[in-house]
Amino acid sequence: MPIVELHNIRKVFDTKVAVEGLSLTIEPGTMFGLLGPNGSGKTSSIRMMIGMTVPDSGDVSLFGSPFNRTQLPRIGYLPEERGLYKKMRVIDQLVFLGCLHGLADNVARRRAKSWCERLQIKEALPKKTEELSKGMQQKIQFIAALLHEPELIIMDEPFTGLDPVNAALLMDTLMTLRSEGRTILFSTHRMDQVEKFCDGIALISRGRLVLSGSMRAIKSRYPRNRMQIAFTGSDSFLSNPAILEAKNHPGVSELTLTTEDEAQQVLAAAVAAGTVINRFEIHEPSLEEIFIEEVKRSFGETEAVEA
Amino acid sequence: MHNVWLIAKREYFERIRTKGFLIGTIVIPLIMAALVFGSHYMASRAKSESHIAVVTTDATFAADLKRNLESSKNSQMKVDVFAPSDAVRQSLDAQIKQKDGTLAGYLWVIPSPNPSDRPIYAYKARSAGDIATESALQDAIQTVTTRERLLAHGLANSDIDALTTSIKLDTSASGNTEAAFFTAYLLFFLMYMVIMLYGMNTARSIIEEKSSRIFEVLLSTIRPEELLAGKILGVGAVGLTQIGVWMLVTFIIANSGISSMLGGAGHAPVSIQQIGFFVLYFIFGFLIYSSMAAALGAMTNSEQELQQLNMLLVIPLVFCFAMLTVVIPAPDSTAARVVSLIPFCSPLLMNFRISLTQVAPWEIWLSVVLMSLTIAAILWFSSRIYRVGILMYGKKPSIPEILRWLKHS
Repeated sequence: MPIVELHNIRKVFDTKVAVEGLSLTIEPGTMFGLLGPNGSGKTSSIRMMIGMTVPDSGDVSLFGSPFNRTQLPRIGYLPEERGLYKKMRVIDQLVFLGCLHGLADNVARRRAKSWCERLQIKEALPKKTEELSKGMQQKIQFIAALLHEPELIIMDEPFTGLDPVNAALLMDTLMTLRSEGRTILFSTHRMDQVEKFCDGIALISRGRLVLSGSMRAIKSRYPRNRMQIAFTGSDSFLSNPAILEAKNHPGVSELTLTTEDEAQQVLAAAVAAGTVINRFEIHEPSLEEIFIEEVKRSFGETEAVEA
Repeated sequence: MHNVWLIAKREYFERIRTKGFLIGTIVIPLIMAALVFGSHYMASRAKSESHIAVVTTDATFAADLKRNLESSKNSQMKVDVFAPSDAVRQSLDAQIKQKDGTLAGYLWVIPSPNPSDRPIYAYKARSAGDIATESALQDAIQTVTTRERLLAHGLANSDIDALTTSIKLDTSASGNTEAAFFTAYLLFFLMYMVIMLYGMNTARSIIEEKSSRIFEVLLSTIRPEELLAGKILGVGAVGLTQIGVWMLVTFIIANSGISSMLGGAGHAPVSIQQIGFFVLYFIFGFLIYSSMAAALGAMTNSEQELQQLNMLLVIPLVFCFAMLTVVIPAPDSTAARVVSLIPFCSPLLMNFRISLTQVAPWEIWLSVVLMSLTIAAILWFSSRIYRVGILMYGKKPSIPEILRWLKHS
């Protein structure tokens, strides 16, 4: 039973099409990355998932049944635009938000305290939000989304504005939550995180789904035609016709080859030319490369159609 | 309903904890009271301390005037009597120029050459601004001369007392108009104040949530109509608390006997029924106007935009005030009945009519139903606007866009 199931949803704001024919499925206990360039419809899709806006057409199902507002307390949501009451004390704020999600006052208070300890911001509890740093506020909001122990955690760009230490702390927390069986959906355009941690992804561009599925399945669709070579000496081998594209840095080149099989031949040619090879590696395209390629293609196609 | 309660509770407790609330509720009324009492105290002291001299050849007149000024209910002056002479004039002139002297002025009575004419009463004061003493003196001379003339015509003292007693109209048969006017005006000003203060606060708190973007978290669990209703009730309860404190203080002051000291005889007590209607219509009026303010808050994105629109709240209120001129002379006329049923006017005009005349129960019920429907309609309208407005950030909506939004969501 999928936790989230979007079927062919469409949303138009006035004349702008925000989301068009989007379908995706998120399995329980997984971490799912929703990717897309700015303005591609990530936030609009998430808002329709939790009933903040209603799709013009298409169906939303959560926890195996059609969307209905009683499901909302089972979801924790961190919006992209962070917001807390500036003049309110952190503890009061967390208790208030916890109560809105159906918790009893004392339960919310206890959990707020233990979460703040866990995220190392215990000293913030009696303070007003406006006295806190931005990173701290973000942690508070992160806690607010988790206080009611939701089964589905939806985070819109959770890591923007966090330093690496705090970003890692939050990521670890999310990983722990996943190991406890929660389902996590987050949107981002930081590919490295997605590549390392996500079980499944969906890539959307201009409101349309470009790519979706499990990480492994997507990667295996692309040929292992990338090679990285670190060398000293002559770089004459770089003019090899099997090289489609080359990014040259001092002493290192990242090459895209016509086919997977050409790698050995390029290496042999380099050795033959007397170049000293320090390191040689064949790998699949990174998610970032796939992302850029697919987004470019989606724009190219639409432009072609429009022209 | 639970969510509405939570929103209202947060709004209420966060607001009454602010310094602004404490200042507005306690300090401002204290300052006002201090000013009123202080000025009254100063005025009463100034009068009782006045010390004047009367220079006349007419010993009876001098004695009567002295008695009147020293022991009447309006003044407690100290009066010295002298027979006219140049030496007296010089001495008195010197006294009123003297810096630390007590003499406030002197009255010089110059008899008219024609005995049937009134004498000339010349008053020379230390300060030309001492109006209280002057007017007390003028009243006293008037009373004394009238009495003298009447006595001269052979009337007995008791007859003169009976003649000079001021009369009072008895209006008890037609209802207590004074109290009715008092409540109507009180209600009007309370409404006006509350709408400007708290109606706008409702709008402001909605805008604040938009700019801090907390609404997105809230809307992920609750409906916009719950949010707006909670805001209206929460901010409204703050307003009611503040007004309650003010009313309580006023009530205590009015009953502590200080009010009679302040000079007002006090209006006749308002009936329990009138208080009941006052409270009922006050609450409805409050809800109508603050839900309108909430709609304005939902439509705008900044305080400045809100300022431009707040006339929309004041206009219906001013209309009500203008309609008082229709209701007062003929509270049972068709025109008065119709305007008092308009939901935006009922809180003021229906309540006013109830205190002036007998209003049929069905009219009262109808006004309550109309007001309730209006509040529901405004809430429905503003939650639509709110939902669509916040999700299409930043842009200031035009009227056609607002109408299109109503179809969305």
